[in-house]
Amino acid sequence: MAKKAEEPSLEQSLKRLEEISTLLDRGELSIDEQLKIYEEGMVLSQQCREYLEQAELKVRRLSGEDNESE
Amino acid sequence: MANLRDAANVDICHMTETPVTVSELTYAIKGLLEEGIGDVMVSGEISNFKHHSSGHRYFTLKDADAQIGAVMWRSRTLTFRPEDGMRVVVRGKLSVYAIQGKYQIDCSAMRPEGLGDLHMAFERLKEALRARGYFDESRKRPLPRRPRSVGIVTSATGAALQDMLSTINTRFPLLDVVFRPTLVQGDGASEDIAKAIRDLDRAGLDVIIIGRGGGSMEDLWCFNTEVVADAIFTSNTPIISAVGHETDFTISDFVADRRAETPTAAAVIVTPITSHDLLLAIEEMRLEIVRTISLRVMDLLEFANGFVDGRAARRITERVLLRQQRIDELTTRFTRSILHRLAITTQRVDHIVALNTSLHPLAPLKKGYAVVERNGHVLTGTDRLSKGDIVRLRRLTEVSTVVIQNTDPASTPKEHHG
Repeated sequence: MAKKAEEPSLEQSLKRLEEISTLLDRGELSIDEQLKIYEEGMVLSQQCREYLEQAELKVRRLSGEDNESE
Repeated sequence: MANLRDAANVDICHMTETPVTVSELTYAIKGLLEEGIGDVMVSGEISNFKHHSSGHRYFTLKDADAQIGAVMWRSRTLTFRPEDGMRVVVRGKLSVYAIQGKYQIDCSAMRPEGLGDLHMAFERLKEALRARGYFDESRKRPLPRRPRSVGIVTSATGAALQDMLSTINTRFPLLDVVFRPTLVQGDGASEDIAKAIRDLDRAGLDVIIIGRGGGSMEDLWCFNTEVVADAIFTSNTPIISAVGHETDFTISDFVADRRAETPTAAAVIVTPITSHDLLLAIEEMRLEIVRTISLRVMDLLEFANGFVDGRAARRITERVLLRQQRIDELTTRFTRSILHRLAITTQRVDHIVALNTSLHPLAPLKKGYAVVERNGHVLTGTDRLSKGDIVRLRRLTEVSTVVIQNTDPASTPKEHHG
């Protein structure tokens, strides 16, 4: 279940989205840089949305060894 | 009334020539029973239990050979949930309900038979554990603000598990759920629960829920034991105890870091932020980003208007303004259905941004390039300058007036060096 390093977790993606939002808002970047992170923001938000919408509950079952309830 | 009360004294066992009325006879019986028997303590099995909407409870107490009606008024408190077939001990008064010619027990108290000992044991253990500091608020750990993983200790077959899983699935299916099935009543259940808590504690989860659905005090008893209390107390993982209904309290509720009224309530506690919340947040950030970038484009266009032919720029500005208005509209309604339309709008804004960045003169100015004007006209790359010409040098932050001293052909003819 450990997430691979190359695939950012939802947590990281959300954090990055927030960063992008703040960076853009501050307006200190050149327009080129702004466009680049704008693009990144659009891709990220789309990915996060799909991830959330497609998520399904997975339950791992830890065996109770000798005593399973009937 | 006096004559009726006197009727109790009438020697009704002997036939006389004068008939008595039904009331007289009934009140005679009432007197005999209520005064002759009065206060009683009776053990028996409940049948036909009815909790009337008025709050009063009506039932029958019976054993193998006989039965008697019983009533317990709303004002009398009950510490458990009576059910048909349950063996109980009631205290009360024998009374006669004249209107129906029935005698019944007017119960003032009722407890499950044999549970007197359990209640005692419960109170004793509770006090002992309290004295040992098991219930101290100071040792209760706060639950994680947003758990990523949860362990569940309950029966594999109970409704509690299904309730919890479906609640989690609806609210936040990304939660990592580890289920450890256990017995939740009967012999060995306490030990099984304690072991399950220790197993899950080792799994390094964010929080553990232990629980089961409602039942009698005996059914819930395995959550009232010292071995379970110890397992909760020594667990490194915060524990939520969710046993039975709102009205049920168990020892595990007191020791646990948090008590949930029901298993479903526990599932809500471990999913404080739902997928829906996150989707809204993402949408808000996304719109914020789109708004910022389009505002930035408008700034650039406004700036550019000072330099290039106004008409073309104005046309573009109008288009951007239209998009901007559209985005404003969308911002006010965060609904799913707008997302697709938004994606298209975003693409268009994106396109316009790309188009205008290549046109507008700000970017070169920022890098240090300058615009050269002579007599109010911007010079193109092929315009010639000669000695003595007076030009205006427009840079990002200032405009200077310059007199040309000397002009040589450049090696790269397309570039003007400021």
